Amino acid sequence: MLEFLDSPRVLHGIYVLGSLTLFVIGLYGLLAKRHLLKILISIAVMELSVYLLFVGLATSPGETAPILSDGLRAFAGMADPVPQALTLTAIVIGMAVLALGASLTIQYHRLTGNADVTAMTELKDS
Amino acid sequence: MSQTPLRKRVRVQTLLLFLLCGWLLALQLTILFEHGLAGQSASVGDALLARNTETGSANAVTSVVVSYRGFDTLGEVTVLFLAATAIGLLFGGSGPAAPGRAVSESSGTGRSAPNEMMVTGVRLLFPALILLGVYVVVHGHLSPGGGFQGGVIIATAFFLRMLAEPGLVLSHTRIGLLESVSGSGFVLIGLLGLSLVGTATFLGNFLPHPVASMGQLLSAGVIPIIYVLVGIKVGAEVGAIFGDMLEGHDARSVPIQKNEGE
Amino acid sequence: MALPLTPIWFVALPLLVAFSSPLWARLRLLMPLLLGVPLTLLVLAIALHPLVRTAPLVETIVIAPPLGIHLQLDSASLLLIALIGLASALVAAFLWLGDTEAHLRGRRAFVLMLLLIAGCNGLVLTGDLFNLYVFLEIAGVSAYALSALRQDAPALEAGLKYLIIGSVAAVFFLFAVVLIYLQTGSLSLGAVASSFGEIPGPMQILIGLLMLVGLGIKAELFPFNFWVPDIYQGSHPAVASLFSGILVKAFLFVLFHLVFVLLADPEVIRTWLMGLGAATMLVAETVALRQQDLRRMLAYSSLGQVGLVTLALGFGSEATLAGGLFHLVNHTLVKLLLFLLAALMLRHLLSVRLADLAGLGRVMPLAAGLFVLGALAVLGLPPLSGFVSKLWILKGFAEAQVLWPIALILLAALIEAAYYFRWIKTLYEPRAQMQEGRPLGHWVYAPVVLLAGLLILLGVAPFLVQDLFIEGAQSLLARDVNLEAMLGARP
Repeated sequence: MLEFLDSPRVLHGIYVLGSLTLFVIGLYGLLAKRHLLKILISIAVMELSVYLLFVGLATSPGETAPILSDGLRAFAGMADPVPQALTLTAIVIGMAVLALGASLTIQYHRLTGNADVTAMTELKDS
Repeated sequence: MSQTPLRKRVRVQTLLLFLLCGWLLALQLTILFEHGLAGQSASVGDALLARNTETGSANAVTSVVVSYRGFDTLGEVTVLFLAATAIGLLFGGSGPAAPGRAVSESSGTGRSAPNEMMVTGVRLLFPALILLGVYVVVHGHLSPGGGFQGGVIIATAFFLRMLAEPGLVLSHTRIGLLESVSGSGFVLIGLLGLSLVGTATFLGNFLPHPVASMGQLLSAGVIPIIYVLVGIKVGAEVGAIFGDMLEGHDARSVPIQKNEGE
Repeated sequence: MALPLTPIWFVALPLLVAFSSPLWARLRLLMPLLLGVPLTLLVLAIALHPLVRTAPLVETIVIAPPLGIHLQLDSASLLLIALIGLASALVAAFLWLGDTEAHLRGRRAFVLMLLLIAGCNGLVLTGDLFNLYVFLEIAGVSAYALSALRQDAPALEAGLKYLIIGSVAAVFFLFAVVLIYLQTGSLSLGAVASSFGEIPGPMQILIGLLMLVGLGIKAELFPFNFWVPDIYQGSHPAVASLFSGILVKAFLFVLFHLVFVLLADPEVIRTWLMGLGAATMLVAETVALRQQDLRRMLAYSSLGQVGLVTLALGFGSEATLAGGLFHLVNHTLVKLLLFLLAALMLRHLLSVRLADLAGLGRVMPLAAGLFVLGALAVLGLPPLSGFVSKLWILKGFAEAQVLWPIALILLAALIEAAYYFRWIKTLYEPRAQMQEGRPLGHWVYAPVVLLAGLLILLGVAPFLVQDLFIEGAQSLLARDVNLEAMLGARP
């Protein structure tokens, strides 16, 4: 009954719709929210949506994980390994940046008692 | 300035933002639905997959991460190192020479004492987590997993212990040593690959990696060694980030412990 | 076993030294190494120059280009690498000799600065799009941390703002890279360039826009550069000099490298880039007029010069490209000079606001004199080097019979003159008493005087370096040669 989901176009269409919706949700949060941590979360959501899009669109239905195990003896009919490797790299980078951002926010909040991006007024045109 | 017009303005702004975001979504969706759904015909990844046996690694993702695109991984480890350095700068206070004992004593009062479940559970879990982490790191070229995943598991084990035993402070010098030894080791292995005639390229696989031994623990030449270094590095960096954040939290939360105490 | 001198050293050496920093901290070698590493890289760049002149040098990493990552060193990127080495060595010398604040001389600042250098070198050298993203993050994260180094409220605010805007730029760039991989199945610049034309038109526009936003934020182009003055004001001026001197230059180079390699016909985007450049220049120079803080004024002036370079490089003829590259080098030297002077003034007077600087000419005569020299070099007065590079750019436009950029550049120079002379006039105003800060040693001025000497030397004898810039421009434009080098590299 659900065979139509096996067609790559339908499946990729669902991936595109979902990840782009996430991307725009992140973009909206970035532009509309004022709390620093919410902004950082929005950026993380945008990043994650890009990873989802990458891994989702680079794999077609029916492909297996690119690992020789469980009786597989040849590297054939497997998913493209490059997007998975790149996503792994990008996730770690994103985590590092997010950790730095959270630490900066915490430290800034301790120093000034403020976590609102519109109230950051130390530096402005005079 | 009264309240109402201000609120009105904010609403208009939100509405405009909504419209903008919706428009962008529609635009991207039309472009991607039109041109992006066909899937890939021929990509670099397929070519790499086809010749992956030459690396002797049973996990194609690992051979891409560590060998073919090992330079990216070096860069990624560098970013992690940078973030850990910067976080250490923010929370570390005066410097690495600060005595750990003083911080740990104040932390005993700053955080509520962990309950018995936590302490016992962590005692049971800790060895299992370390073992799992080491297994995941060492088998990175055979099964799903590898240096990043295993390193994070090891760091989590230490993080749980830090939560369960407020007196425990990771030694900054030891973590720094691990960080620098594993990072320098990565670069040095790369340079060794560059200097040896057989490979003559940065990060070249200069150890024997026969296809016949594919699937065994000792296979794939230099790949498991680099992945173990990455595992140590990631474990040390993430552990250092956890530790710094926790210490920074303890150092500051002492004056307001009454509000938090419960 | 031999260690071949290949481009990888420009990235590997700073990485290795930064990773092993605890050792150097124990041996008390931090400052000598911070100076020594960029100097070594500068010497290596000079040593590689004869090799690069004949053909672009392509180094493969593990596997040949269409499949793997490679580094490409041609005349243009060599120019940038040498500039990065020189500029960071001068800043390191300033930090070492100048007895600057402790937080700039610690182990962590050492790591951050070395990795900033490694990131910029990698950005300029790499020929792989995802690798470019990784280096963009390395350079970015070290820059975020460097701007928050002082850890007071302004510095943390600068770091946070930089981190947020920089991460957004990185996400947009990553999105573009992902779309390129999904469309062409390749990440290596050579392979992407040869199949970029086959991507459907709307998709090309989407990728181009995402990249332009991502790199435009990082390279500080007009609609995306509102954050720049905040960062420069919140950071220590020596750090700001690194941002203005090498970080922006690396990103500008990346932007134009991608434009000239990916697009078979760069004319499509010429008007856009020139428009962005002109808008950046005019808006920044106009806003600079009313700044009361020296660091902010210098930041806006830096944006103006970035706009001028974009205008010249975006036009894409050989003459304007050579002029643009020369101006890029000049601007790095001038802004290093001015920001380092600002650091000295800040240390001596504890403020660099316009009102507090009045009468500085009497207290710090050398600093005030050098400031005047730097200001004249920005304005492009002979015999300083800014004159020659602006002349090359104007000549390039005149030869191509395109007149509107000439008018705009002259207008911008006029506005520049207005605000720089306002500051110079204040510096030499008579004033009864000045509060005294810490006295400065004589060695503090050595790197700054060296910079001033370089400015005069390049202005008097531009023929010494003329060939370098013309070769650089030619290698940027020689798309076919570059593609052939990238695709035909040895495995």
